[in-house]
Amino acid sequence: MTSWFDHTINGLIIGNIYALLAVGLALIFGVSRLINFAHGSVYVVGAYVGWVAVSVLHTPFPLTLVIVVALTAVLGVVVERFGIRPLAGAPRIAPLLATIGLSFVLDQTVQILFSPDPRAVPMQLPNWRVAIGGGSIGVLDLLIGGIGITAASALFAFLKLTKWGWAVRATALDRDAARAMGVDVDKVNSIVFAVASGLGGVGGVLVGMYYNVITPTMGFEATLKGIVAEVVGGVGNVPGAIVGSLLLGIIESYGVALLGTSYRNLFAFILLIVILVLRPNGLFASRRQLPPEPMTGTFVAPSRPVRLPVPLVAAAAALAIALPLLVDSGYLIQTLTNVWLYALLGLSLTLVAGTSGQVSLGHAALLAIGGYTSALLALNLGWPVWLTLFCGGLVAAALGTLLVSPAFRLRGHYVSIATLGIGEIVALVILNWESVTRGPIGVAGIPPLSLFGYELYDTNAIYWFALALMAALALLQLRLLGSHLGRTLRAVRDDDVAARSFGIGLNRYKGLAFAFGGFFAGLSGAFTAHMYSYINHETFNTQISVLALTIAILGGMGNVGGAILGSLALIGLPEVFRVAAEYRILLYGIALLLLVRFRPQGLLGTV
Amino acid sequence: MTAPFPLPAAAAPHPLLEARGLVRRFGGLTAVAGIDLSIAAGELVSVIGPNGAGKTTAFNLISGLDRPDEGSICFDGADITGRPPEAVAVAGLVRTFQHGRVFANLSVADNVLVGAHRRLTAVRPAWPVVGPLAELALALIRPPSVKAEEAALREEVREILAIFGERLLPRIDQPAYSLSYANRRRVEIARALAARPKLLLLDEPTAGMNQTETAEMLEIIAALKARGQTILLIEHKLDMVMRLSDRVVVLDDGRKIAEGLPLAVRNDPAVIEAYLGHGAVGSAARAGDDAPSAEQPLPLSA
Amino acid sequence: MISRRLFLQTGTATIAISTAGGFAQASEPAGEPVYLGVSGPLTGPNAQYGAQWKQGFDLALDQINGSGGIKGRPLRYLFEDTQSDPKQTVAVAQKFVADKRIVAELGDFASPASMAASPIYQRAGLVQFGLTNSHPDFTKTGDFIWSNSVSQADEQPLNAAFAVKRLGFKRIAVLHLNTDWGRTSKDHFVAAAKNLGAEIVATEGYLPEEKDFRSTLVRVRDANPDSLFLVSYYADAALIVRAARQTGLAVPVAASSSIYSPKFVELGGEAAEGVFTAARFFPADPRPEVQTFVTSFKAKYGKEPDAFNAYAYDTMVLFGQVLREAPELDRRTVRDTLARVKDVPSVVYGKASFDTKTRRVAGARNAELVVKGGSFTLWGGGKATN
Repeated sequence: MTSWFDHTINGLIIGNIYALLAVGLALIFGVSRLINFAHGSVYVVGAYVGWVAVSVLHTPFPLTLVIVVALTAVLGVVVERFGIRPLAGAPRIAPLLATIGLSFVLDQTVQILFSPDPRAVPMQLPNWRVAIGGGSIGVLDLLIGGIGITAASALFAFLKLTKWGWAVRATALDRDAARAMGVDVDKVNSIVFAVASGLGGVGGVLVGMYYNVITPTMGFEATLKGIVAEVVGGVGNVPGAIVGSLLLGIIESYGVALLGTSYRNLFAFILLIVILVLRPNGLFASRRQLPPEPMTGTFVAPSRPVRLPVPLVAAAAALAIALPLLVDSGYLIQTLTNVWLYALLGLSLTLVAGTSGQVSLGHAALLAIGGYTSALLALNLGWPVWLTLFCGGLVAAALGTLLVSPAFRLRGHYVSIATLGIGEIVALVILNWESVTRGPIGVAGIPPLSLFGYELYDTNAIYWFALALMAALALLQLRLLGSHLGRTLRAVRDDDVAARSFGIGLNRYKGLAFAFGGFFAGLSGAFTAHMYSYINHETFNTQISVLALTIAILGGMGNVGGAILGSLALIGLPEVFRVAAEYRILLYGIALLLLVRFRPQGLLGTV
Repeated sequence: MTAPFPLPAAAAPHPLLEARGLVRRFGGLTAVAGIDLSIAAGELVSVIGPNGAGKTTAFNLISGLDRPDEGSICFDGADITGRPPEAVAVAGLVRTFQHGRVFANLSVADNVLVGAHRRLTAVRPAWPVVGPLAELALALIRPPSVKAEEAALREEVREILAIFGERLLPRIDQPAYSLSYANRRRVEIARALAARPKLLLLDEPTAGMNQTETAEMLEIIAALKARGQTILLIEHKLDMVMRLSDRVVVLDDGRKIAEGLPLAVRNDPAVIEAYLGHGAVGSAARAGDDAPSAEQPLPLSA
Repeated sequence: MISRRLFLQTGTATIAISTAGGFAQASEPAGEPVYLGVSGPLTGPNAQYGAQWKQGFDLALDQINGSGGIKGRPLRYLFEDTQSDPKQTVAVAQKFVADKRIVAELGDFASPASMAASPIYQRAGLVQFGLTNSHPDFTKTGDFIWSNSVSQADEQPLNAAFAVKRLGFKRIAVLHLNTDWGRTSKDHFVAAAKNLGAEIVATEGYLPEEKDFRSTLVRVRDANPDSLFLVSYYADAALIVRAARQTGLAVPVAASSSIYSPKFVELGGEAAEGVFTAARFFPADPRPEVQTFVTSFKAKYGKEPDAFNAYAYDTMVLFGQVLREAPELDRRTVRDTLARVKDVPSVVYGKASFDTKTRRVAGARNAELVVKGGSFTLWGGGKATN
């Protein structure tokens, strides 16, 4: 059948497009050991710069490309200089958060300048098409492929043949040794960000022309796919990133051919997990390698936690309890209810990521599992809500742990990438498993929260319920941290190799952390589902996973009080900034950047 | 206790550890090319050799951090070849690391308590799911038995730290990242002792220590040996090796080139050749290292 | 200089604040304003729709306040950005509920965000009015939850009749956005088309962020359809028709009214030519209310309105009439008046009245359109060719 040929061609075409981002991500990761979540935003900026050049300045195509490369390369240098470099001494988690903050700032700036409307980018190339199989490919397809391959070849030559290329590779291998040998590591980083960003910018404008549409929000999805492609090819491996992109494109295309369009991303993320589990160094890594030696204290900030005075905590608790009696503001109480529910999520992630060092980027999936479990048990079987809430927590704990278990053997950034993939898989299964989850229609008419047979409608009652739940579980988590398990989990985080050498089986303790944390997150999701009365597969999305991680990092990794304070700050800030209307998310991004810059160990410090 | 020279590999009636024919290749490079090693209970055996001789690789193979491509390892009557490090540790074989891997954010006391992990009753149940959940329940409920065990361990931690005099005790609640390099190495050894190992693997315990500190460490290791602790030691400071060891094993280029009593090994021409030959290149680059230098190949006359 | 041109071109989407516009100021009533709360996305992935709402609202307010306002008081709205994120819509709902000046609430955009807030509005007795909420369960939360979004059970049979009876589609492949709206619409369309004797040879749901449709269309091509029907928004539909050309799928395409936007033609380029749709709102519609809307919209924003502008405008006009007819300006009376108003002039419906059982607008009508020469024009009959 010719269709398989067509599907292969289609896969290569989309793979080409993924490669434009994957190569830059690979280069940055290779040198800076950083997943650059702002890379997709640079791609957005490139697309809009291209649009201005084409539609406003009416530049010819080559000049358009030059302008885009120049401006995005400068942007890359600025991002590195002011966003990443100041965090060189900070734990590796800090620059990750900084790139997330930067992506907010860049996306929002583009949106404010250009409006959120999609725009057409006029094609500046002749529309010649070559028939191939049952379809055809155009000049732009070839150009995108050509630019990908040329860029990779040029990079390869740059890395192998030039002095700066040597410096980049030396820095990638061992930053400290390179610095000791006189390599100007800062300059290397600048060059890498310039090259990668220039390439990303070109990617933006070419993809914009290809689809004839650009939007300020197209960066996130593009980053996600770029990361998957990069991991498939081998993190930090530039030629691998291209092959990984093409392979990802083909697998997705075959996935669509076999099961349908809704399954495209499912195939992409399952490929990601399979590669991570079977060949964590990517398809093209040959050697079985020992993990790099001292990870000690590099991923999580070494810091002394701030000790909150007991009277202060007691006063804050008393205020929280009395607040609904003191002020009559449903808005404030509702916002704080959200804060407590996100604190529950933050507690979960601060245990998993902070205490145990498993930086999960798929935590929203646990909310979704908890929410759906509780909602469906209450609706379909008529169980009382207090029981379904508990079941939501348990199922999230069990299923979450089971799903993440293949990733237990991974470490560092790989855990984040794997959990990101697992989170996406859960969302897609919820979307596609219609007989149980009702698919895209979602679950409506979820019974309200109830306790001892009384339905809780009142905003204040819901607030107290959420507060009590959160406080009780926070105390439970403190008790866990004070036990031998707290010490064991922190040992796993600080140095898993040394921990294993003292009889600490990683699977057992990572599993326990995910189970304990999963229960909290599941409970939070279940509570939320009953409060909202309606959920679907989009209710608990990737943005929430990112928010959860932000809460955990901002509060201080592993810090129970920090998770609560982080939730207060991150749920509260967008509300406080409401007066700034369209600018509020921009302000939020800037606030995030400043917090990371000046308090990389989090507000209350690592425990 | 010392055996007649040359010592056959299976001289001891029941060796505590017996490794046979260990091979480990990295790509084209063979780091360990067929090493036999055995230790009887109560012995202190040192492994020496120039840089890149395969000492740490051999340690990694024995402690389960790495898997041998060929060969077998028997510990305390059980085959532990290819077993994961946590299983090896639970069996009673515990190690320290060359560069000192303490848990940076844990206090000194917590670091040492992690060493006692394998002795906790709470971690015993090994059944899947039920075992971990039981452990979680014990940690949260903390019945009197658990509390008593924890209190006893904390008392023991102080006793272990007292071995190092006033080096660590005043810092017992400080996070490990705030310690000096030498103190981190001491914490590592304290942590390993808390495990009450049947066999203790020490990987260059005095690296980075000055003379006084080294002398202190020597006394501590000698005291441990006197208490009957079985020890396998990698060490560059040869005077220390000569004074402590019951036997010395010399590795070069992944092979065992000599084995026997310290004095005999010191005068072995093959050993001198190894240190004079390619060993010099590696050690010359590491100025300040206590490895023998080219001018003074074997400064053994301590 | 660049930024100035940009602002001119992008219209006032980013800078318009409620009742801007010079001419309205002169004759605006001076009393205490009457407020509606609007909960919608102004930032985040759906920000464009919030911006479009604003344009429609502002235009309608110019007209309402220019003609006396509400009982001598100006009508205004308070727009709270929610990013269409449920945790923010519930907070905003509490804010609106507590703000005694607000007599009714409009929005939110996506179903998960809108429906999460419904219990709060229902309990407080403040009307939540969904402009775009076609989720079949949206109004079921209670008697304060209303919508003028067309029920897909009404709209899709009209589309099916257009496609099957008049365009002569026999073997249809349906591509739909895999959301609550897309899924519901698809189900109604498929059922209606089958009733009319057409065969549905393939259905493909896609995710909102999908950009690459080549593989999907090859899969569809293998089912050998003689036509495509799209349940899409304009941006996705533009991507699909472009990809259809590239994959050699040369069959006629019809789409639900949601693709109606000048942007569809802009983004789709040549590939948009010949695409059929049956839109409720259509600028060349000769009805006076439509012509007033289109002319004044062009005057204010310098571009043609699209479907989302029209829904927003329609909603504000509706509330203008409801509030003028309401004997008292309290929340319950507003709800009761919604149930009573009859035949409000509407650019979407012609005349809008509510079915008091479903709390949705009764009846749907369609203008049958085709893209010709770079714009939507009335379809003059004649079978589809491609």
